Amino acid sequence: MSTDLASQDVVGEINKYDFRTESTAVFKARKGIDAEIVNQISEMKNEPQWMREYRLKALEIFNSKPMPTWGGDISLDFQDIYYYLKPTNKQGRTWDEVPQEIKDTFDKLGIPEAEKKFLSGVKAQFESEVVYGSLKEDLAKQGVIFTDTDSALREHPDLLREYFGTIIPSTDNKFAALNSAVWSGGSFIYVPKGVKIDFPLQAYFRINAENMGQFERTLIIVDEGASIHYVEGCTAPMYSSESLHSAVVEIICKRGSRCRYTTIQNWANNIFNLVTKRAVAYGDATMEWVDGNLGSRLTMKYPAVYMMEPGARGEILSIAFASKGQHQDAGAKLVHAAPHTTGQIISKSISKGGGRSSYRGLVRVEKGAKKSRSKVVCDALILDSKSRSDTYPYIEILDQDVNVGHEASVSRIGEEQMFYLMSRGLSEAEAGTMIVNGFIEPLVKELPMEYAVEMNRLIQLQMEGSVG
Amino acid sequence: MTITATPAAFDAASFNQFLESRVEPTWLTKQRRTAWSAFQSMAWPDRHTEDWMRSDLRGFHLDRYKMPGTIEPSDEVCPRWLLEDVTTCGQVSTLDGRIVHEQLSPEIETLGVYFGSLEQACQAQSETVEKYLFKTIDRNVDRFSALQAATWSSGCFLHIPKNVSIEQPFHIHSGMTDGGTDVSHVLIVLEENASATVLFECSSAIPTADGFHCGGLEIVLKPGATLRFVKLQEWGDRVWHFAQERAVVDQDATIQWTLAAMGAKFVQVSQQVSLVGAHARSQVNGTMFTRDKQQMTYNTLQYHEAPHCKSDFLYKSALQDRSRTVWRGMIKVAPGADKTDGYQRNDNLLLSDQARADSIPGLEIKADDVRCTHGSTSGRVDEELIFYAQSRGFTRQEAVRMIVTGFFQQIFDRITIESVRKALGSAIARQVRQYD
Amino acid sequence: MTENDFKAACLLSELKPGQPRTIELDDRFVVLVLLDGEVFCIDDLCTHDGGTLGDGEVDDHCLVCPRHGAKFDMRTGAAVTMPATEATASHEVKIVDATVYIKINA
Repeated sequence: MSTDLASQDVVGEINKYDFRTESTAVFKARKGIDAEIVNQISEMKNEPQWMREYRLKALEIFNSKPMPTWGGDISLDFQDIYYYLKPTNKQGRTWDEVPQEIKDTFDKLGIPEAEKKFLSGVKAQFESEVVYGSLKEDLAKQGVIFTDTDSALREHPDLLREYFGTIIPSTDNKFAALNSAVWSGGSFIYVPKGVKIDFPLQAYFRINAENMGQFERTLIIVDEGASIHYVEGCTAPMYSSESLHSAVVEIICKRGSRCRYTTIQNWANNIFNLVTKRAVAYGDATMEWVDGNLGSRLTMKYPAVYMMEPGARGEILSIAFASKGQHQDAGAKLVHAAPHTTGQIISKSISKGGGRSSYRGLVRVEKGAKKSRSKVVCDALILDSKSRSDTYPYIEILDQDVNVGHEASVSRIGEEQMFYLMSRGLSEAEAGTMIVNGFIEPLVKELPMEYAVEMNRLIQLQMEGSVG
Repeated sequence: MTITATPAAFDAASFNQFLESRVEPTWLTKQRRTAWSAFQSMAWPDRHTEDWMRSDLRGFHLDRYKMPGTIEPSDEVCPRWLLEDVTTCGQVSTLDGRIVHEQLSPEIETLGVYFGSLEQACQAQSETVEKYLFKTIDRNVDRFSALQAATWSSGCFLHIPKNVSIEQPFHIHSGMTDGGTDVSHVLIVLEENASATVLFECSSAIPTADGFHCGGLEIVLKPGATLRFVKLQEWGDRVWHFAQERAVVDQDATIQWTLAAMGAKFVQVSQQVSLVGAHARSQVNGTMFTRDKQQMTYNTLQYHEAPHCKSDFLYKSALQDRSRTVWRGMIKVAPGADKTDGYQRNDNLLLSDQARADSIPGLEIKADDVRCTHGSTSGRVDEELIFYAQSRGFTRQEAVRMIVTGFFQQIFDRITIESVRKALGSAIARQVRQYD
Repeated sequence: MTENDFKAACLLSELKPGQPRTIELDDRFVVLVLLDGEVFCIDDLCTHDGGTLGDGEVDDHCLVCPRHGAKFDMRTGAAVTMPATEATASHEVKIVDATVYIKINA
């Protein structure tokens, strides 16, 4: 691998991820958040009374909760953000029906290819609302529900209501409360008993307008013996003013089921990405989070698995790459609430150019969770003296008959490694990229192919920035 | 034991009486008054502060204890385990904050060593003590440290001059009667290339004693100095034990700090080692062994402020019954502290279903040319081992003692003082609960 | 009622309906609530974050943790909502001569 990347290609790559289209939003609420806005949102969506009350109650909770005193620096003016924007009146069913300008955006993100190759259905979110979706017929025939959450509230109200907010109540934390008040869009998936979907379901969304917040709400229910792999990836153009992304993802894995949720996040440098993601796994169920965090000004995200019955398993694979002006405060949580449960967390973080990468995690074994095993491995690479790496693991053991191990290490790229690669003709940047790619290989090999490609390209871009 | 009747022992009136009863240089009185104002203006720490988030202070009532100096002298004797099988060159022993025994070998004294009550030292070595007292510890970190800085009595000062090496250990003891108070301070300063060994222990007059201990420990190691410091804490079962302990280690200096925490009902200790000069080294060997409803919290920090320093913290906790331990271990590396070698490990052995161990190893790294690792394990005793021992005629208690001793073996291996190894072995044996 | 097991906690008149009250009994902190004429007692401990419950509100027959909203059934100590998954201890209560007695469930 001795070809140099032509500088035009690099610029082209950067531009590919850094553009904006003129927004022709149909309805744009005023900035700020209060009961009137929340009522407006519920009104626009034509929601049942219970959801409107749920939102209003959540707003009260949001207002009453203090800001967290840990994690990153969340310097946000909550009143200087738009909380709702509806781009078109009708949800597109096929690609042809989607407005051209939105199509342009998606063209640049390469969606049509993806649709051809891998997908069974795509829910794309533009400006808080889903505009494009299609569900492959065989899935629909098997009883799989894959729609946006707004539609689910209309079409599957009982099913949604049974689970909505049960894993992450509005009171859980300030940003869960915010999401509960102003949520819009997101995916709703139900996989019936025994149905195994063998290709990944995907979603794309992005922020476009100035000061636009994203508050998608995702709810996934995997019934007994079923299995699903859900992939979300997002990009956003660069902005000068703050933007807030505060999603909530709730997942229920019933007995014997399996769910993997993959995220590659690459928000622009002005975005605050504050997310609550939590899954419960019942008897013999397995939940896997694969979480890649690049970009954003601040990410605070700790995907969690609560193992509620014997045989449940939780696995979290997390990568964070913080460059200049970025703070990744990411990690994972495993709660063993039943005997004979197993968990694993692998975290790899990289900081470069003054970036700050922090791992923050929890392994908790409740009393009675006998014969539980959990292992955490956190490795961090600091690429230069301006950068910073932190590890904040919390281990709480309330039963004796358990086996829990945690190890972490922080280091830089070894000089011998660099020397060896450069003596084989690689430039310093290429050698660095190769080593970093090797470092994050455990995560990349778990990604669907096109994401692996996107991931490698993104890493390359990040590393290129370190030259000169 | 008669107690001077005061309506509220730690109030302004008693504090003034306390100051009046002391003969101290002006600088010290001033320092105490400032600390007292801070104490009065602060609230007790609560769960919003990370370091106190897992500590349940609700059962602590300061008004159950008396101001230092107001408890009648007693001739009760507290155990001093670390004195067994060892010849010391100096001893300082206090009871409820009053000196009860002081001794220093004349030969050592002629070398220019000062070892004796801190109280006396504030008179006899005023300038030296003023230079170091409360310069390493932060008096304002919380209400306990403010109280300690205002009302400490007695305590101990050890000062070893340049290039002086003392082989025989110094022994410091803090004792308390049942329901007593010990607000004490230990200040150790080793000048360039000096070296010494200090054995420090705390104990109560009876195993079930109540009491309030609020302690401070400051260790200053100048370039090239070496200190071996051992602390054995075996307060009575109902004692509330708060302490702030700090060591500053300069260029080419070394500290080996061994501690065993066994006693007291509630323990909250903040232990820090700062490596401030190149090639400084520290090794900390911590053992925590709890039972009944003990709550023990150790917040530790290794701070690499200079390059080429090495720190190595090993903490092992064994928990019985319904006890609880919280161990926080932070390694901080400042920008520019290149070639840092930081290592930290915490192992927890849970001997009962009702015990709880919280382990929070942390890293905050701001330099890139470093090697920092930490690890934590938690698990149980293999029941088969106990069964095997019992089948060979050992009681369950004996079996547990052997297993726990085996668990702590790694710590034993790092201790370089024979008498301390023995004392630790006995302390562990004493702490194993009774099995019927 | 064996005198040894039950300890006097407070007077019945000191409890207001639906208002939690924290009591320290033998080194243990518990919460008492008067609900529909009956008195219930659970540990003053949220099993989710280890903090107190006594400063929370009563919602139906549950005590709601003020920090993250976990709910505990006052009658049994059971955890009713996330983020709590484990029950907190509940204790037997007897009222004799307008005095509330509690038997701490070890």
